[in-house]
Amino acid sequence: MASKETCRTELRAAVRHLSERGLSSAAKWAAEQLMGIEQDPSKHTPSHTRFQRGSSSIRRRFRTATPAEASGTPSAGVSYVMTPSLVVAEEYDYDLMDSDFYLLAKSYFDCREYRRAAHVLRDQTSKKAMFLRFYALYLAGEKRREEEMIELEGPLGKSDSANRELLSLERELSTLRKNGTIDPFGLYVYGLVLKEKGSENLARSVFVESVNSYPWNWSAWSELQTLCTTIEALNSLNLNNHWMKDFFLASAYQELRMHNESLAKYEYLQGTFIFSNCIQAQIAKAQYNLREFEQVEVIFEELLRNDPYRIEDMDMYSNVLYAKECFSALSYLAHRVFLTDKYRPESCCIIGNYYSLKGQHEKSVMYFRRALKLNKNYLSAWTLMGHEYVEMKNTSAAVDAYRRAVDINPCDYRAWYGLGQAYEMMGMPYYALHYFKKSVFLQPNDSRLWIAMAQCYETEQLHMLEEAIKCYKQAANCNDREAIALHQLAKLHSELGRTEEAAFYYKKDLERMEAEEREGPNMVEALMFLAQHCKTHKKFNEAEVYCTRLLDYTGPEKETAKSLLRGIRYARDVEHFPP
Amino acid sequence: MTAVPKPPSSFAVTPHKLSICILVQVYAPPSQISIPFPFSSVSQHNCLGIFLISLTKECGGIFEPTLDELITQLKEIDGLLNHWLSDHLMGRLSSLASPDDLFNLFTDLRGILGGSDSNVMDDDQIMLDPNSIIGMFVRRCLLTFNQMSFEGICHLLTSIGAYCKDSFSGYQPYELPHLDESTSYSNVPSEYENMEMENFYEKSGEDFEERKMEIGRTPFYGHASKTFSEFSDDSGISPSHRLEHIDKNAEAKSCLLSSSDMSRDIGSVSGTFLHTNWQVQGYLSEQADVIEKYGSSFPLDAFESILKKLQQLAPELHRVHYLRYLNNLYHDDYPGALENLHRYFDYSAGTEGVECVPPPSGCSSFGRYEIALLCLGMMQFHLGHPKEALEVLTEAVRVSQQYSDDTCLAYTLAAISNLLSEVGISKTSGIIGSSYSPVAGMGTSLSVQQQLYVLLRRSLKRAESLKLKRLVASIHLEIAKYDITHVQRPLLSFGPKASMKLRTYPANIYKELWLSSRLINDFGDESSVLTADGAFCTKWLKSLKKPLDSLIFSQENESRRNSSSFQFSAQPSSIPGSVVQLLGSSYLVRASSWEMYGSAPLARINALTFATCFADSSSLSDAALAYSKLIQHLAVYKGYQDAFAALRIAEAKFACVSKSRIMLLKLQLLHECALHRGHLKLAQQFSDELGVLASSVTGVDMELKTETSLRHARTLLAANQYSQAAAVAHTLFCTCYKFNMQVKNATVLLLLAEIHKRSGNAVLGIPYALASLSYCQSFNLDLLKASATLVLAELWLSLGPNHAKKALALLHSCFPMLLGHGGLELRSRALIMEAKCYLADPDFSVSDNPEMVLEPLTQASEELQLLEYHELASEAFYLLAIVHDKLRRFDDREEAASSFRKHITAFENPEGMDDSLFTAVGAAETADLGPAWPTAGAAETADLGLAWPKTTEEHHGRPARPTASRECEHRRSAATLSHQISSPPGSNSDFLGPPQVTSSPTAKHAIHSGVNVHGSIYASADGIYESCNVVLAC
Repeated sequence: MASKETCRTELRAAVRHLSERGLSSAAKWAAEQLMGIEQDPSKHTPSHTRFQRGSSSIRRRFRTATPAEASGTPSAGVSYVMTPSLVVAEEYDYDLMDSDFYLLAKSYFDCREYRRAAHVLRDQTSKKAMFLRFYALYLAGEKRREEEMIELEGPLGKSDSANRELLSLERELSTLRKNGTIDPFGLYVYGLVLKEKGSENLARSVFVESVNSYPWNWSAWSELQTLCTTIEALNSLNLNNHWMKDFFLASAYQELRMHNESLAKYEYLQGTFIFSNCIQAQIAKAQYNLREFEQVEVIFEELLRNDPYRIEDMDMYSNVLYAKECFSALSYLAHRVFLTDKYRPESCCIIGNYYSLKGQHEKSVMYFRRALKLNKNYLSAWTLMGHEYVEMKNTSAAVDAYRRAVDINPCDYRAWYGLGQAYEMMGMPYYALHYFKKSVFLQPNDSRLWIAMAQCYETEQLHMLEEAIKCYKQAANCNDREAIALHQLAKLHSELGRTEEAAFYYKKDLERMEAEEREGPNMVEALMFLAQHCKTHKKFNEAEVYCTRLLDYTGPEKETAKSLLRGIRYARDVEHFPP
Repeated sequence: MTAVPKPPSSFAVTPHKLSICILVQVYAPPSQISIPFPFSSVSQHNCLGIFLISLTKECGGIFEPTLDELITQLKEIDGLLNHWLSDHLMGRLSSLASPDDLFNLFTDLRGILGGSDSNVMDDDQIMLDPNSIIGMFVRRCLLTFNQMSFEGICHLLTSIGAYCKDSFSGYQPYELPHLDESTSYSNVPSEYENMEMENFYEKSGEDFEERKMEIGRTPFYGHASKTFSEFSDDSGISPSHRLEHIDKNAEAKSCLLSSSDMSRDIGSVSGTFLHTNWQVQGYLSEQADVIEKYGSSFPLDAFESILKKLQQLAPELHRVHYLRYLNNLYHDDYPGALENLHRYFDYSAGTEGVECVPPPSGCSSFGRYEIALLCLGMMQFHLGHPKEALEVLTEAVRVSQQYSDDTCLAYTLAAISNLLSEVGISKTSGIIGSSYSPVAGMGTSLSVQQQLYVLLRRSLKRAESLKLKRLVASIHLEIAKYDITHVQRPLLSFGPKASMKLRTYPANIYKELWLSSRLINDFGDESSVLTADGAFCTKWLKSLKKPLDSLIFSQENESRRNSSSFQFSAQPSSIPGSVVQLLGSSYLVRASSWEMYGSAPLARINALTFATCFADSSSLSDAALAYSKLIQHLAVYKGYQDAFAALRIAEAKFACVSKSRIMLLKLQLLHECALHRGHLKLAQQFSDELGVLASSVTGVDMELKTETSLRHARTLLAANQYSQAAAVAHTLFCTCYKFNMQVKNATVLLLLAEIHKRSGNAVLGIPYALASLSYCQSFNLDLLKASATLVLAELWLSLGPNHAKKALALLHSCFPMLLGHGGLELRSRALIMEAKCYLADPDFSVSDNPEMVLEPLTQASEELQLLEYHELASEAFYLLAIVHDKLRRFDDREEAASSFRKHITAFENPEGMDDSLFTAVGAAETADLGPAWPTAGAAETADLGLAWPKTTEEHHGRPARPTASRECEHRRSAATLSHQISSPPGSNSDFLGPPQVTSSPTAKHAIHSGVNVHGSIYASADGIYESCNVVLAC
């Protein structure tokens, strides 16, 4: 890992380079990371440091590994190349004095008059000017494309209108690349063009080229990440070892559902970028996917304190609040994002979640739909809308919504699960199994999915108990929180007359309930079965223990236990003193 | 219904539609002359009218034609006008330079429409009736234009520019010089046309049910007709339409490709416009039709790319997924098919593209997911997963009961019965018993066959009450099929004492078949007019495009030609294609039933009827089945040369159908041929190859599996490996018993008898022969019964000359059947047997009645030579030689002896023979079966279980080498012969003389032939009627 100082200097230069070229979101990202590095206390006002200190104290509560450890482990044995070091970075300030044309074009660009900007730069030959022209043309094409999408929307759906600058851009950029006169930023635009044209392999290599020579352009990294849909693709990339690669890997792991790996990476990165909101949000995301809601909530509380007008990732926070049924917190959050920017899909989603929690599903659907209007590929809105339709018992609409989510991202196990659930609701368990299988395939460590599938097999229509047992076993193996699986396993086994297995699972279930200090009918059932089982197998001492425990309960069980005890005593007498 | 409400339907104006409007202006100018300016005659004027109507309706592709295509078509029309029309069109189009020009054009267009109260029509004035098809079209264009936003008009203008430019500059997708101008990227003007669809809904309300049944039935005819039926909304595709692309797949492919012009479209979206929604739907259903007809020979990738593009242009058109599913299904792509099926039903809830009437319950929010289950079940079955299929279909039954979808229930029941009849399931408990059973109410003691029977009856009742004619017809057909191969038992049988009489009832079968085809005759009005119209228009436009030999023909002549050609080939027929297919398959069922019952001529006639009348309208695999039946007939009755010649023709015709009947037939024929010629290793190889064709799943392809082991046993028998052969036959018997294939067991028992006969244990063989005989009797397998009697006679004879009379009597009892219906082999065996009986009879003297022995022997030897059955032929010649010797006809004897030698050497050295037949047929084989026939040396190394082990010698106490055993047998028969000849000739008073081939059949047979005659009368009457219909339709 590069030293904090190096990172800082590199990032500072990068922010300048990126914003000079109009790559504003990459610049934003870099600046955020820059602020994430622990500041040099001597250079800052005390108020700021105090703020930082206060925030980190909360985080420390949930810190699993100390920063030193976290940063120490992964870097062992990895030699980081320092190629694009400061000296090289300076290279990107090619002409210290921008030409007047460039200044005019850049100001047009900043006013979103892309074609005008491109026109001004038509004869400029400096690399920077050429990049800006390409980028402006690309953005102009994108803008027109979006307009056309609205204009040409037909009854059979939005047509796929294309960016019409792509062809000419591709031609120019490929010649530039052949001549070797293309800079990393140009490569980035070239990659964008190629990606949109569908030549993904070439796009991937172009992005790799771009990030290898200029690693601080986060936009290039994230484009690259969208092109790596499998772990094989990710591993086959030939990337230089720069600290930016760690950011990339962390986010790629997250997309590939390798949450633990991703979490480790982010925690390692946190060693350097200790105050980075971005990393914190990503950690929250990983934790959320690992269903550690408590931690996620704490992280988001802190994030909101540091960055109260943040909207990114807040939909996830709202999901957590929804799951924890925090009405007022959710409404507070909804209010806040609504005031900040109501036309963000995340805001709509949060409001939708709020209404859903309130049980007003129609309104909730309306907001989810608004979110989708703002971004029709907004995955979680489709899934959440599906949930709402399920609540409203409009299963076919739910199925449709889930299916759209799945078609946008076939790895969305929640939507697959939702599809399965919808079909199960309609009384089509066998058909539903297809979807449960898909979701389980994508998320094999989620006990809920296994349980859903097992319940599907268990339905009276299918009654495929063997398969159900297999699924419950899987569920029991992967951290089944509600302990449904163990109980069901025991029940199914006893139903199938396999008393040994049943006893084993009842015992396990009992142990678990004892450990978690839970009481309830399951406990009674387990005790009852075990008492009888032990009695029939002549393990009288054990049976007696279970019976005495049963005596604590009121109701018919108590009486049964009493008679069992009598029976045990009698049987024991017979054993000891045979007549 | 769906999560995202669809925007209201609209009708988009596209450059193509604009061109039509311009032409309409020419057609109906606001003038006072009866024949307006450019036209010289009324017929010319009318021709343009027809052309315009066709343009508005055609659905030959999903994309609208380009200007070039339009102009080509136009040039066919206005040849005499010196291309005035096309020039005019081009001129008008290129003059449109600003939005204002468009405004003016549409304002002018309004002028040609007549007033709404146009009852008072001025004769002289040409006015477009606003309610005519063209009038309606113009009004819709006007309406849409008026509603268009300015952006829309700009888009229209730019797309007109691209439309014209493509035409003028030739099409060069990647070199559009001014990219900024070609703004016509993917305009999506396809939409719902409710106006015209409503009519369609009404028409096809009932039809839908029928069609669904076809979904239900599609894969259930197994090999016989997997692609037999077509799916939904296809009912409008006239059978005659299919006439066009029947015999050549290449044609189908080219038609498919040309209709969509993929070559032009792939890679660039510029300038493509979809047809209107119903035109697209029409196209899709037509394609669905073609896929199901041609099965795997349909070009997968080309169509897939069309679909991909279509989906890109119209992402909300979910029917595309269904087409993809079909396409994947018929190319055996399981994951693809599964994925697309699920996707289609997830998006559309089973309602899109299938115009359904809302269920009477009124609550339609549920969607029609039971259809999804039905399709899924069908798919699972088609791909050979019977257990999964049964699970899914059971669920379909439950869901359709739950949502009271009676029609779906009827189809599902039919599907389940199909499944059960197709798949031999040994025990129900593993499959049906594991879950809720659709027939659980009947109690669990029923066998699968009984369940199937109950199901069939139940679904028949349901279908009848729902008035689903097609379903009823096909269930009748199903029942007929069931009756052919299954033995009916009383439904409730208690204990072992219950009557276990196994019988089949041919009369029932013919009753069912008749019912099936009679119901089909009721069809007349059940077709969707609109799709048919679209297809009709497409056809008409296509025929325009046909290259005309020359332009010598006058205009009049030409138009007549056109009109006559389309009248002949594209008139919408009153009988939906699926019905004709159903009818056709009833003939196939008839043919196979006659095959079973042993009437060769009737089987042949039915197959011929199918091949001539229905091959055009049915699926390729059905046609292949009919052809294979005919070829088999040739092989059995005319010898292999003819059969292989015919096979080659059939192979060329059905080359595109993979895993087809023809392939199967080839292997069967090759196996038999090799067996006859004594090429045992080859024979074994063929039978193994046959076995490989069967699916490895238990319970699937049972027919093929049993046949393979039957052939294996026969090969082993020919190699004199009796114990192995007997073992195989026993296993086969057990399998058949397990899977309740009693009818098959008659054959197996006969084979066992034959094995015992050949191994010299005649006493052991007799019970088997008798058992087989009784099976045949109760199953009405007359021909098989005759051959069983023959075997029995042979067995008696081999017990010694004392039994010769008895054997002869037995033989004569079945002579009419053997000689009348038997194939070459069977006849000659019977004839040789007769001669042998006479010769073995101590009371018979050769010198007294030489003809009684010589005649059958000569006939047998002739027929065997035709068949190239060397083993039996040598025997015949041997006997002939001996008889001639006895009669002191030395010349004849020498001739017979030399023939004997020829055959015996050919038999002993099969490798030395000419392999021309094998290699000729095998040449094609090499492609799909890898290495061709192993050479003699290679065959030795290949251990086919046919090496002659020394152990068999001890085992049987006989020489194991086949030639040796043959010699031994000959020696033995010679011994009996000499014994008989030396004995004093006795009187042959009890000999009745060889019965004539045409002699009256046995009493039982007479009853049968009565049925036959009846059946054939019906058959021919039906056939004539049906063919009349077909001809009329043309």
